[in-house]
Amino acid sequence: MLEAQGVSVTFGAQQILRDVSFSINEQEFVCLVGPSGCGKTTLLRALAGLTPVSSGRALFKGAEVHGPQTALAVVFQDYGRALLPWRTVAGNVALALEARGIPTKEHPARIAPLLAKLRLTDHADKFPSQLSGGMQQRLQIARSLAQEPQVLLMDEPFGSLDAITRQELQDEVARLAKDEKRTVVFVTHDLEEAIYLGDRVIALAAGSDDRAGRVAEIVSIDLPRPRQQLGTREDPRFLEYRHRLYRHLGH
Amino acid sequence: MGAVLPIFVLTVWEVLARMGVISEDGFSRPSRFFVAGAKALADGTLLEQTGQTFAAAGQALAMAAIAGIALGALLGLFRPLERAAQLTIDALRPIPSVALIPLSLLLFGFSRNMSAAVAAFACFWPILIVTISAVRSIDVRLIEVGRLLGFPLPKIIAKFALPAALPAIFVGIRVAAGIAIVVTVTTEIVTNPRGLGFAMTMSAQSLQADLVWATLLWVGVIGWLVNWGLERLERRWLRYL
Repeated sequence: MLEAQGVSVTFGAQQILRDVSFSINEQEFVCLVGPSGCGKTTLLRALAGLTPVSSGRALFKGAEVHGPQTALAVVFQDYGRALLPWRTVAGNVALALEARGIPTKEHPARIAPLLAKLRLTDHADKFPSQLSGGMQQRLQIARSLAQEPQVLLMDEPFGSLDAITRQELQDEVARLAKDEKRTVVFVTHDLEEAIYLGDRVIALAAGSDDRAGRVAEIVSIDLPRPRQQLGTREDPRFLEYRHRLYRHLGH
Repeated sequence: MGAVLPIFVLTVWEVLARMGVISEDGFSRPSRFFVAGAKALADGTLLEQTGQTFAAAGQALAMAAIAGIALGALLGLFRPLERAAQLTIDALRPIPSVALIPLSLLLFGFSRNMSAAVAAFACFWPILIVTISAVRSIDVRLIEVGRLLGFPLPKIIAKFALPAALPAIFVGIRVAAGIAIVVTVTTEIVTNPRGLGFAMTMSAQSLQADLVWATLLWVGVIGWLVNWGLERLERRWLRYL
């Protein structure tokens, strides 16, 4: 479905990604982890077609990605910057429908189920500034789903939320990905979040040597679904994965 | 609360004028110019003049806003264009708008267009400059969202860039609205035989100090009303802030 073939990205003299290769299957939930500055956001942006690769190729369904395409939706960490403050909740979701050229009279029927799915129905007429952080992020997710993408590329989507909201949203995203049969690439610096959510975890290496920006390890996560905030995290295998991946986070 | 100071000033003025401390030839006195103003309002001349000034200033503001926002958005989005236009802007902007009165008179004669053209020139710059900087400082993230959703560039400008710049553009329009009235009245005082400016010149020449004062205060009231209206509009349009 999604593939990186020897992707390298250089900004000026700085090499961010080196020869990154992996492939992601349809309906797979893959988490990208690594310490800050390891290039995981850059990798996600390269997959989305937002950041051009210096060498190598990013592929979607076998075709090279040259720029953004609607089959690939991106959910940014900073929801405050990604939502249109002058549009209501419903208006922000409608944006994705407008982009797809869907007639305005069909909008309400398409927006309502999405808002229901993300528990925003009661807030349809509010502006983003009137919502909590968690609600704003759910709105961004609703909008990306309205785009009807095949792949959701999520860049530390819960990075600036409190722990409880975060766990709620983790379970929601896991459920959505399964119900909606989407492929998800999920960037996080939180190892436990990556193991909890992922079918596979790709760890990127950091540091000042030439290992930095390479794939350090790819681990398949063999934990039963649906995952449970308590049960899964106490599973011996969970702890084992955590031990195994921990050293890649610069410790 | 804000009315206390003007009421105090007018009262002192009235008392001093009645005592003969200040000359009624030039200063008139509040009770007289309220009467003169009421008379001019009642016989319709003041409203007619107001309409003329208002139409010219409104036309100027509309032309300046359309040109300023369109050009400002273009220059704000495309850096090379802005560099190419910089010299022209820097050379034209310092020209005092009133220096255009003779030229405008030549082009448009004694007409509304004559005043509007001069005022539009004056209004254009603040709107242009505010729009350029507002569009340039738009968060790139919003533009990325537009691209990711699949909008073509013109739609990104209309749905993302301009609304994002709107609060700043509004500030430019409010500044320009004040300028529009000032410059329009100036053209009327200097040459154009219409509107409130001309009315003041005429009453001064016929030594009607009360009517000069009345018209002057009326211009102040009009300016205040325009600003109030724009603020209301702003609150409506920008209620998400």
